[in-house]
Amino acid sequence: MPSATLLGQALISGVLAGGMYGLLAMGLSLSWGLLRLVNLSHFALAFLSAYIVYELGTKYGVAPWWSAAMVVPLMFAVGASQYWLFDRFRVNELASLLITFSFAVIVEAGIQIYWTADYRRFETHYATESIKAGPFFIPVLDLTMCIVASVLAWGTWMWLRKTYVGKGLRAAAEDADIAAAYGVDHRKLAYILSGIGAAYAGIAGTFIALIATLAPAQIWAWLGVVFAVVIIGRLGNPMGALLAGMLIGASESLAMAVLSPAWAPVVSFSVLIVILLWDPEWL
Amino acid sequence: MNERANAWRRRGVLAGLAAGAASLAAPSILRAAPSGTPVRVGGTLSLTGFLAQTAAIHKIAAEIMVNEINGRNGFLGRPVEYVLLDDQSKPEVARSLYEKLITVDKVDLIQGPYATAPILAAMGVAQRYGKVMIQSSMGIPKLQTYDRAFPATPFGPEPDKTYPNVILDAMASLPHPPKSILVLTSKFPSAQFMAKGMREQAEKRGLKVALYLEYESGNRDFGAIAARVKEADADFLWVGSLGLESNQLLEALHKLDYKPRNHFHLYPAPGPLALSPDGDKALCSTFLEPAEPFLSRPGVKRIAAEFKERATKANLPYAVIDAQAAGMVSEWQILEAAVNGANSLDDKVIADWLKKHRVETIYGSLRFDGPYNHGDAAQLIKQAQNKEWKVVWPKAFAAPGVTLMGT
Amino acid sequence: MAVNAAAALPRLVAVLAVAAFAALPMAGLPAFYDSFFYLVFFWISLATSWAILSGFAGYFSLGHAAFFGIGMYTTAVLTTWFEVPVLLTIPAAAGLAALFGVVIGAVVFRLRRLRGELFALLTLSVTFVIATIILNTPIDGGAGIFMSAVPIPNLLPTPTGSIYLMGFVLCVATLVIAWKVAHSRLGMGLYAIHDDEDVAESKGVPTFRYKIAAFALSAGIAGAVGGVHALYVGFITVAGTFELTVPLFVVLMSVIGGARHWFGPAVGATFITVLLYAFISGGEAMVGRAIVGVILILSILWLPDGVIPAAKAWFARRRPAPKRHSAEVAPVVPAARPVGDRNVLEVRGVTKRFGGLQALSGVDLDVREGEIVGLVGPNGSGKTTLINVISGHYPLSGGTIAVDGAQIGTLSAHEIARRGVARTYQIPRPFTNMTVLENVVAAATFGGAPRPAREIRDEALHWIGFTGLSGKEEMLPAALNLHERKFLELARALAARPKLLLLDEVLSGLNPAEVDNAIRLVRAIRAQGATIVFVEHLMRAVVELSDRVAVLNEGKLFALGAPREVMRDPRVVSIYLGKAYAA
Repeated sequence: MPSATLLGQALISGVLAGGMYGLLAMGLSLSWGLLRLVNLSHFALAFLSAYIVYELGTKYGVAPWWSAAMVVPLMFAVGASQYWLFDRFRVNELASLLITFSFAVIVEAGIQIYWTADYRRFETHYATESIKAGPFFIPVLDLTMCIVASVLAWGTWMWLRKTYVGKGLRAAAEDADIAAAYGVDHRKLAYILSGIGAAYAGIAGTFIALIATLAPAQIWAWLGVVFAVVIIGRLGNPMGALLAGMLIGASESLAMAVLSPAWAPVVSFSVLIVILLWDPEWL
Repeated sequence: MNERANAWRRRGVLAGLAAGAASLAAPSILRAAPSGTPVRVGGTLSLTGFLAQTAAIHKIAAEIMVNEINGRNGFLGRPVEYVLLDDQSKPEVARSLYEKLITVDKVDLIQGPYATAPILAAMGVAQRYGKVMIQSSMGIPKLQTYDRAFPATPFGPEPDKTYPNVILDAMASLPHPPKSILVLTSKFPSAQFMAKGMREQAEKRGLKVALYLEYESGNRDFGAIAARVKEADADFLWVGSLGLESNQLLEALHKLDYKPRNHFHLYPAPGPLALSPDGDKALCSTFLEPAEPFLSRPGVKRIAAEFKERATKANLPYAVIDAQAAGMVSEWQILEAAVNGANSLDDKVIADWLKKHRVETIYGSLRFDGPYNHGDAAQLIKQAQNKEWKVVWPKAFAAPGVTLMGT
Repeated sequence: MAVNAAAALPRLVAVLAVAAFAALPMAGLPAFYDSFFYLVFFWISLATSWAILSGFAGYFSLGHAAFFGIGMYTTAVLTTWFEVPVLLTIPAAAGLAALFGVVIGAVVFRLRRLRGELFALLTLSVTFVIATIILNTPIDGGAGIFMSAVPIPNLLPTPTGSIYLMGFVLCVATLVIAWKVAHSRLGMGLYAIHDDEDVAESKGVPTFRYKIAAFALSAGIAGAVGGVHALYVGFITVAGTFELTVPLFVVLMSVIGGARHWFGPAVGATFITVLLYAFISGGEAMVGRAIVGVILILSILWLPDGVIPAAKAWFARRRPAPKRHSAEVAPVVPAARPVGDRNVLEVRGVTKRFGGLQALSGVDLDVREGEIVGLVGPNGSGKTTLINVISGHYPLSGGTIAVDGAQIGTLSAHEIARRGVARTYQIPRPFTNMTVLENVVAAATFGGAPRPAREIRDEALHWIGFTGLSGKEEMLPAALNLHERKFLELARALAARPKLLLLDEVLSGLNPAEVDNAIRLVRAIRAQGATIVFVEHLMRAVVELSDRVAVLNEGKLFALGAPREVMRDPRVVSIYLGKAYAA
């Protein structure tokens, strides 16, 4: 039987690691839920951002937060231009999935051409720092990421719930024609939303650069689990995405602490299947 | 009988040595450039897809070797041309491309791909057409069931039995030899194969196996695993890792304020691990590093310098020739020695020659007459010391002044 | 004769193509072509099998790798552990994969929520679970399965040729199955499920059974394909088998070719496989990969519905010879009868609760043969709920319903439809990807008794003419206006030869002239012998049409009787206009 310290520590790491799932899921969830566009290139944009942060940091010594300040607006522009393409060609949900998949293939090739396929690591002195809390250790960087993710999720959630823009967006997602009749400029909002979704990829990418080691094929490593997180958290709900991410992260981590770690995916995905079949009220 | 076998073996060794030394050491200027229709050698590498990080260094190594060989006598006096295709990291694509190389492009010879799955896919094709296939990266020798497949890397026929003992010998030489071991491995076939051997040998030698854990290859979060490693707190941590996993694990351990006392990593990404502050004193498997005594082997200095230049130009972050890239060098050295030694492009003749002769390679002198065409095992141990890899074990291969550092 | 020749040409081409490909390994081509074409066949079979469930029925699966992987491991385990001959393992691989499909389907298809992205996620999760179980049990254990010692069946002189032949046979079989499905009752049902599953069920499509059948076929074919592929790959690992890029490429291939057409996935699979082999040279691999991405994006933007539908549209535009639609035989239409004494519908104490909400509480209603009963009441009184309960769209909470004396209260909607109950929807819900004719034919096929296709078509054309939609047979519903779509709803309901027709606000949203037209139509329907219950807000129509009027209020039957009397009843006026008026 594993000790309480081990379980507690596994829970902490799992929730914090789940924060990354949540952060990656948020942007995806917004465009999927509110624009009916499934953006698989979200992961490619996150890794592209990570590589840019790495490049600026290692070659020019730019601090990651300054890099983020450059990368996030850049990604916003990429997201908005993607929407231009989708809008121009009246792309539906399925086609958007396939187009962005192809787009991710292109980004992967581009990253490999410029940075090669070899592993890249952005070494920082704070990457492995932790706060000690009783018998537990809380990694500072992961905690920061979770706080940023929570603030973003809460902020976006409030924005969608309380403001005219947010309500307009949600109305347009329900029925674009009726929303338009009430004077909601769906297009303009959609550009903003698509940009915001991609900007979140930029933020996630900044943390990926600091926390993970980079390789082009890693783009695909997060796809399955984040896809699951998006849907469990309910489409278009950033708070749901974050919480679902933490739930999956925690269940994976606890499974690794108790069972053979290789069994972890069975546990987290069985949790998913049970939730899907059971459909509890609180979700 | 025995004597006769030894006699021819000696003769073969001498001939091989002579051929190898001549070809490796002779300055290219003295040679007439090869002429005539080129000898085409086909092969695939995983230039795209999830194995792509391995292909870049192999491609550079192959290009260097083709240049070197053409700077000498080529194959039988004819220039060598490398027909390289991209197997996209997929064994089924590798299989069809080897069929293309052999039946459509009609290459004269083939060279193996990288990683167990593509190698096995290519080996099936080679077997159907009776082609000699030399490969450098199959960590499970017993799977090499084809009698014209030759290893370019001296794993030995049973690395799961021999290599753990090299590691345990090294550990036993420390002032405070470890009494317990923790074996943690990726479920990648070749890593898991070694991990099981490690556990077995450790138990045999009386070490307490505190924990044996397997994680899924491509595992994303090492937090919980790190917590288990910390709690088990063994004297020696053996990790059957691939690529990024070692860095991820060590960082996760650091976040728990835990530093493993002695830690070994099987197939990590060498650059990131050496450069990481957590990688300090990490042990790792190797066959060669660009230092003495290896640089004294014929041609190695030149190849290492050339590799550094080309890798830097290709924007590779870790522009140092290591055991992996050297595998490709060895493949070409073996093929060159065999073709020119057997004086034939016929695969049967080449294969027969290889089974009777030793070849001098960047890895030292290799033979191919043991089980699964393997010869002697020559795994070494290197250690990250001041962000550089140094071979530390066996002592004979350590550079002057370099010693194994324990804690 | 000319017509026959035109129809025979594609068949001749198909036969010649099959013969040519079957003979390919003997043609002396380099063995690479055996392998390359094998891979093309492999992807065609996989993409086509995916499309049978996901393209035809619209249940978008990301779990195709699971079934394919089950097939691979079945063959690998049976051949290496038990030395079963490869050819015997293929049916086992198909069977086991199909069984998984049926079991998953039996759970998932019972839950109406699990459509769209939830179904995709569920299938994806199942893939991960199966992969992890295989990885951590002795089935694989992490070491992979090496099949070098497995004898390849000697179908042809060379091993590559034999594998080619196995792949080819599977591919042809898959295409034949897809063609058969697409042109069968099953296919028509699946297409209807794709467009609107609830409507399909209410038109008599046994949706649950059909989805299970499609899932089993789709998974079974993928399993068989996996079985052969295990032999081709030779060394099987979990990471290489259960890759996420496999389902993604399968989806890409199906969609680029046209996922709703039986031959679309084959076109897409060929296109993408060739494309991926166009850039294999070592020097250009990475740039080639980017070019592949660009070509894919352009083709999806240019042909959003896929190659085959685009080609069909192109041909249709080039040869706009208008098809003449006319019924060859006048359909048998029951003669008009006066209102009889027999009850067609008997509703007894029917209750319906939604959570805490009591939508119907103890409604009794008899409807006599040939009668028109108007169902009125304020908003939320339970009119549409009653229609939904009778048609089986909602299960009953209590009470009984009988049609022609047979209890239907516990039957599913499609069984009720088969017993002669047809309905229309307040907001028309046509099958959007089917033409007007196909819509009506589907309703006739699943609604009425089994009869030959020609007869069904004639009948459908008759009802299209009856509802004034002649000349619009080949149009898609989107091209119709609201008035025409409402009449299409009627035509579909009539084509099912209903004993009992439930009409839900057919008149709402129509202008006065259209209303007159619709009232004439409903009278004509009754004249043909149907019994009608209709929900309506428009009082003029209620009074003009109804033999009797039933008033519902707060889920209870409030009043029942002749229209003019009931509508003058002060209590009825009060619930409509508020108590103040009545006082």
